[in-house]
Amino acid sequence: MNATAHIGNDNVIENSIIGLKGGKILLVADAKTANFDKTTYDEVIDATGKHVYPGIIAPNSTLGLTEIESVRATNDFRETGTTLPNVRSLIAYNTDSKIIPTVRSNGILLAQITPRGGLVSGTSSVVALDGWNWEDAAYKTDDGIHINWPTIQSRKFLDEDNLFPGPFEKNKDYIKQTEVLKKLFADAKAYNELAVKEEANLRFEAMKGLFNGTQTLFIHSNTVKEMVEAINFVVLNKISKVAIVGGKETWMITDLLKQHNISVVIARVHDLPTYPEDDIDLPYKLPYLLQKAGILFCLNNEGDMEAMGARNLPFLAGTAAAYGLTKEQALKSITLNTAKILGIDKTVGSIEQGKDATIFISTGDALDMMGNNVERAFVKGNNIDLNNDQKMLYEKYKTKYGIK
Amino acid sequence: MKKIILLLFAVSMSSITSAQETFPVNGTSNKNHTTYAFTNAKIIVDADETIENGTLIIKDGLILLVGTKINIPQGSVVYDLKGKSVYPGLIDAYSSYGMPETKKSHGGGYPQMESNTKGAYGWNQAIKPEVDAIKLFTKDTKSADEYRRLGFGTVFTFQKDGIVRGSGLAVTLAENRENELIVNEKAAAVYSLDKGTSSQDYPSSLMGCMALLRQTYLDANWYKSDKTKKEINISLDAFNNLQSLPQIFETTDKLNALRADKIGDEFKINYIIKGCGNEYQRLDDIKASNCKFILPINFPMAYDVEDAYDANYVSLADLKHWEMAPVNLFAFEKYFIPFAITTSDLKEKKDFWKNLRKAISYGLSEKQALKSLTSIPAEMLNIGDKLGKLKSGMIANFIITSGNLFDEKTIIYENWIQGNNYKLNDYNTVDVRGTYDFSYGPSLHHQLKIEGDLDKLKATMLTDTVKTSVNVVVSGYSISISFSTKDTMGSIRLSGNITNDPMKFNGSGQTSDGGWINWSANYSSPFISTAKKDSVKKEGIKFGQVIYPFCAYGKQIDDRDGFDKLLKDFKTRYDAILIKHVTVWTNEAEGVLKNQDVYITEGRIVRIADDIGATKLAFAKVIDGTGKHLTAGIIDEHSHIALSGVNEGTQASSAEVRMGDVINSEDINIYRQLSGGVTTSQLLHGSSNPIGGQSAIVKLRWGKSPEEMKFARADGFIKFALGENVKQSNWGDVNTVRFPQSRMGVEQVYYDAFTRAKEYDSKQKTFAALSDKAKATATPFRKDLELEAIAEILNKKRFITCHSYVQSEINMLMHVGDSMGFKVNTFTHILEGYKVADKMKAHGVGASSFSDWWAYKMEVKDAIPYNAAVLTKMGVTTAINSDDAEMGRRLNQEAAKSIKYGGLSEEEALKLVTLNPAKLLHIDNRVGSIKVGKDADVVLWSDNPLSVYAKVEKTIIDGQIYFDNEEDAKMRIEIQKERARIIQKMLEEKKGGAPTQRPVMKRRQLFECDSMQEDYLEITE
Repeated sequence: MNATAHIGNDNVIENSIIGLKGGKILLVADAKTANFDKTTYDEVIDATGKHVYPGIIAPNSTLGLTEIESVRATNDFRETGTTLPNVRSLIAYNTDSKIIPTVRSNGILLAQITPRGGLVSGTSSVVALDGWNWEDAAYKTDDGIHINWPTIQSRKFLDEDNLFPGPFEKNKDYIKQTEVLKKLFADAKAYNELAVKEEANLRFEAMKGLFNGTQTLFIHSNTVKEMVEAINFVVLNKISKVAIVGGKETWMITDLLKQHNISVVIARVHDLPTYPEDDIDLPYKLPYLLQKAGILFCLNNEGDMEAMGARNLPFLAGTAAAYGLTKEQALKSITLNTAKILGIDKTVGSIEQGKDATIFISTGDALDMMGNNVERAFVKGNNIDLNNDQKMLYEKYKTKYGIK
Repeated sequence: MKKIILLLFAVSMSSITSAQETFPVNGTSNKNHTTYAFTNAKIIVDADETIENGTLIIKDGLILLVGTKINIPQGSVVYDLKGKSVYPGLIDAYSSYGMPETKKSHGGGYPQMESNTKGAYGWNQAIKPEVDAIKLFTKDTKSADEYRRLGFGTVFTFQKDGIVRGSGLAVTLAENRENELIVNEKAAAVYSLDKGTSSQDYPSSLMGCMALLRQTYLDANWYKSDKTKKEINISLDAFNNLQSLPQIFETTDKLNALRADKIGDEFKINYIIKGCGNEYQRLDDIKASNCKFILPINFPMAYDVEDAYDANYVSLADLKHWEMAPVNLFAFEKYFIPFAITTSDLKEKKDFWKNLRKAISYGLSEKQALKSLTSIPAEMLNIGDKLGKLKSGMIANFIITSGNLFDEKTIIYENWIQGNNYKLNDYNTVDVRGTYDFSYGPSLHHQLKIEGDLDKLKATMLTDTVKTSVNVVVSGYSISISFSTKDTMGSIRLSGNITNDPMKFNGSGQTSDGGWINWSANYSSPFISTAKKDSVKKEGIKFGQVIYPFCAYGKQIDDRDGFDKLLKDFKTRYDAILIKHVTVWTNEAEGVLKNQDVYITEGRIVRIADDIGATKLAFAKVIDGTGKHLTAGIIDEHSHIALSGVNEGTQASSAEVRMGDVINSEDINIYRQLSGGVTTSQLLHGSSNPIGGQSAIVKLRWGKSPEEMKFARADGFIKFALGENVKQSNWGDVNTVRFPQSRMGVEQVYYDAFTRAKEYDSKQKTFAALSDKAKATATPFRKDLELEAIAEILNKKRFITCHSYVQSEINMLMHVGDSMGFKVNTFTHILEGYKVADKMKAHGVGASSFSDWWAYKMEVKDAIPYNAAVLTKMGVTTAINSDDAEMGRRLNQEAAKSIKYGGLSEEEALKLVTLNPAKLLHIDNRVGSIKVGKDADVVLWSDNPLSVYAKVEKTIIDGQIYFDNEEDAKMRIEIQKERARIIQKMLEEKKGGAPTQRPVMKRRQLFECDSMQEDYLEITE
């Protein structure tokens, strides 16, 4: 009650009432005008002066697939091989990862768990960051397939000592690599049109959803030439749901993206520009440039320390707001827009009646590190535990030293 | 023609046999002391003296006489050079002519701690003072011919390998036995900052190369003064012997030239610096080095920028360098910096003249060009008395040309070296260019037009209106012509004689069916040269201006000469800024003050008050700060930007390396961090070894040189490191050799180092206390730069910033410190600091940490974002640092996380990135807060500086605005314009048929603690 509700669809209700029941949002209204029956609910939370947000969604994340980056035994996000559409991230998702509680305590309540590597990395799934096991956590199983579009220029090794990275050079295998993708997609498409298969092919089976519109194709690419080729490729293959992941140079091809209805999962906003002559704030303002062009986009945090850094997703949105977006547009880029791109916007992504009760309360502006302080969070109405190992260590030593 | 060749052969044979005293002769001896006289020539004695219509007389490979009115001795062979010019033979002061190839040996990927050079040599494989190029030299006919074709007669040659490369020699390019070719057997010693084929690990970095060279100078000195000679060291002995020679230092970047000069200054050596061609980008500093230079003319090829997307790969710096590279030589001339010109670095030697002429068209004077190819290199190599001019008594190295050597049309006919003629073109060849009435067999009335250059004739035949191209070859008085037309059914080949006065060809030839025919051609009209484009081009040359630094967002400096510069410096010194109505975060007892005016001048904060009248301060730039916030500049305690290399991780201790040696003023991240409010950074060595290198504290004075960026009078710091990086835990299974491999070993590295440093220190003090007399007889003291740096820690002259993670190791180092008598100044990263905050407080050490990094390796498993808050609350001076070029420009946000994690107040949070790091770096008396008298290093923010929504509007250092968001917006447009302008020019160049290179992506490597290698761009460029 009485919180500023950031709906996630650009709207804000300054003094709101939000009712949750049976895991769903029952009521969203202005406190001054709403008819509200206290007895419907078990608990009334007075959130005067506080803010309510839809649960933040972390797309394209390795959360739960890694524990400690440098310890190989804890890494489960990369399989060997180049075309592995049938490799599924969901079953490796570790609900007991010590990282997850530190992420959801900043308001991130859903994530798209995504495999890495190869030309076709595999199949991702969306999970709620609450659950006893991966079956529990699964929110949208096998939502999309991820491909890494080959790069025309690639880095070679520096010298005989195999130091990396060395200078860039033309990728001699570019044509070959794109051919592999083209053949795989053509063959898979033909295979899935057959009523009776001669012999089962797991890889082709796994791609079925791309051709019937139930799965999204996520194309990981940052450079403009490659993206243009990738777009031609999906148009040719008549794949209806497509998102570019990364897309650092998408601002150069907004018309093309719009024409083909392709959305963008924008590379980590807290990044340096690619070239020295780029506008120094280019990564910061990329969301604004796409917003202006009318492209559907959301933010992600792929890169160094991505799993543990997923908790900074709201601050990426904050920076995007400092560089052109409105605060509500920025919020949308980590909630409703993300839900749309992942195909889960019917049930999450905003605080709207009938949607899942996946929301959180922050004492201040959740997009600003000064304000982000999550007091309560609900996943499908479940009041989740916001404690984590880091908080426990903090408490332990506070007690040791007797400080506040 | 045959006769001429025979004669030539005889000439060269004669001089070989004449001088080879010790060699037996097979057959009859053939002594020859012929005198040769060259008459009626224009003789260019040197760049300053020309004799018209002069005579040159040579004998036995030497010049006898030069001048006019010379009596030609009886029995001379006389060559009439009417209309021709004679120049001194050119000298290339930098080559590897006749040197064997060097190859890198590989140790199978395992660390190699010791030198592979067997014998009583020095410890490091990259130090090769014992290399004596004269012992390796063998003449190379093919390569000599290449040089001779360009007009060169002499080169300096040496083995291009290693940091100290030994001595090189000056040799002529004649074909005699090697014994006769040597003009100066030890002409110069050669150095570089490239370890070459050495397979030894150390040094792996630029700063390591510099440290090694320094130590070599010291060791050689010590070796010389040590009379006892308990150890014999061939390398050090050889090194000492090199010192009397001219000292040549090869560099591969303008900043490396300055680095070499810095070492030179330390040891009182003025190197001759072999440059790389981009020196014009920092010419003031280059000039100040007082060094002479040897400069290449390998101008970059244009990029193929037709594809707009590909063109993005080419940086503004590369575009501009393409445009400006030919101006380098002129810039040196204009600044009166002496230089020689070399063919070295040219991909194709034949491009030499094309490129030199290009440099001349960009302003280089022909006089300077000649000097730089003759007398200057001769003097550099101490052979100025023998070569470089045409004076009597000097070696007979000269070239005969058709005219002005630097003119595109000029032909070099003959290159005489040590009195031997190497004929390149025959000046007796008749100039047959012109138009002729031409008939062959029954076919009459064709027009034959012969044009083009003398050595490259072009001819066409005109029959009615049909043009046919014709192949014409002239040799002496013979001519051959071939062509094919529609009517001839194949090629017609004609041969004939040339008769002069009037010009006429006669002869016979064969048709395509084998029948013989007669032919003739009669001169009808003269040849008119159409090639006059050059002079037009000269005036049309335009190029952009140098920007500082030479990178996007660099700025032009309008006038850097003489009085104007003084005036500008004076004006900027008194530049004043008045910021009005601003919220001031003082970081002092006053806290946050609203609606204040801040007055800045002479680089200092002069006044902070409610209302400062602008009228009195008419010259001040007034900035309206309404609604804005002013803070002290952000200080990054742990940064690796603006460096060329970061780790010398090949030994457990690399205390001798100095990050101050490798500051890279041209790193775009300096500008990007200014845009995030950073004004001061400590540039640290990496964390690959327990004792790393000495840090550099810099202010981000974008545009200034590396030396100018340094924070004046700052204390010295040194990087230590603990944990997984120093024990090489995550470096793969190969790296299990270098000590230490466990935390246990790390402790022993410290005890060992400090124990040795203590002994060293007391030895040094004892030695210093000796009287001069006693010093002379005592065993000399060997200065060791590594122990010196560690001893400085013990003497409280150098302070430790230690990379650390887990509590056990933090505890350990404090114990080592307590027992060895030093205090750790700062633990950096210190992610488990919260577990030992009480002990840290007791030791008096500060902390510089990350806000929320964790889980990237085993040792950060227990890292918590509350760390900074706990340490602060426990009274430990705590900072938040970046160690990351990206995070470096959002340090305000990282500080703000301590409000969220641990509940620090906003002011406390801001101090984490301003005042506290200033304290940790011992510069809080100068920076870190907004206080009258302190340096005017301040940042104007659009919003509360701790908010994610805050943007930097202005970053001011020393009272000068180094980042200005309005200026930035303008620069973005200018950069696009400048790019577009040069790209258009490149497209023109390509249309004109110039070769191009494909653009490739270039991305600088970003350094972090773990970065083990140098940026490939540093190595390859």
